[in-house]
Amino acid sequence: MSLVNYATREITCKIVYYGPGRSGKTTNLHYIYGQVPSDRKGQMVSLATQTDRTLFFDFLPLDLGTISGFTTRFQLYTVPGQVYYQATRKLVLQGADGVVFVADSQSRQLAENIESFQDLHANLADHGVDARGVPLVIQYNKQDLPGDLILPVAELEDQLNFRGVPSYSADALHGPGVFETLRGISELVLRRLSPTTAGGR
Amino acid sequence: MRMSVAASWVEAPLKQFVDDARVHYAVLLHPSGQVLGQYGFARSVDVMTACALAAAIDASSRALGMLVEGKAFPSLHYAGRERQIFLAEVPAPGGRLLLLAVFDWESSLGLLQLYHEEFRARVGEMAPPIAHNAPAIAADFEKELNKNLAVMFGRA
Repeated sequence: MSLVNYATREITCKIVYYGPGRSGKTTNLHYIYGQVPSDRKGQMVSLATQTDRTLFFDFLPLDLGTISGFTTRFQLYTVPGQVYYQATRKLVLQGADGVVFVADSQSRQLAENIESFQDLHANLADHGVDARGVPLVIQYNKQDLPGDLILPVAELEDQLNFRGVPSYSADALHGPGVFETLRGISELVLRRLSPTTAGGR
Repeated sequence: MRMSVAASWVEAPLKQFVDDARVHYAVLLHPSGQVLGQYGFARSVDVMTACALAAAIDASSRALGMLVEGKAFPSLHYAGRERQIFLAEVPAPGGRLLLLAVFDWESSLGLLQLYHEEFRARVGEMAPPIAHNAPAIAADFEKELNKNLAVMFGRA
């Protein structure tokens, strides 16, 4: 539910970083927070456990500046990845305008990636949302790890990207792919507010 | 008055509530954390943070209410040493909304509850059903988006 105020020409969108535990969702937000100048961001809020696992969500508000004359703001959320936080994930997903699925590229995490991806679709369905209609990009994180520990992007694509959505290879800890992922989901979300697709919603 | 609204119908009832209840901050938001209107915050990013946290409090307290009482708590109140927080639901034609208010000794919980009732009634009268967004931005918005993102990330 992007909020568009035509009178004051403001757009606000909610983007949720989703994925299995320890895949790098919070790391994405930390990297973005570290890159963006202070006048374009708010405080990063992390509701986390004592061991820094996300308990409820991380939240980072961003001011993207003016696009087509509209002051555009993004609210970036992460969900807790651990399986037992299912109810929390569902709550955070409510009203999302776009989703970044952060997959862990490690071979041994493939089953968790698939389970989390199915969980995403189930939670969207519970909100009455057709997952095929939600702007989605996939980020294959941790591609910087040694080759014998990770799956190649082509294989991850085969396993996860049956919808053929935009996907990005990333090393969220050091930055590569984080910017591209944010740009990708931003384009998809804002495209829904452009004349090419907005009328068809 | 530091008021901003994302939907024009919010302004009149929110202004009335602020004036009547004498609050420092007041935010009307969707349970997903999207702000519909606010009074008191100077920075938009702070409003978004307040909304995200209020939505989280609402979601978790509803779940807690269901667990211990079999129904969601309709409102919450926190009394700090200097400031107090009041969070309550506001039914609207398009679905439930939330009102977050912060006040001090110039007001009271009783006043908040009283004027919250009036606010609910006004919102019920004035809020339109959910409307889908009409086209807002130009078809070729990508160039501007990419430029803004590049500036944010120091790549310009």
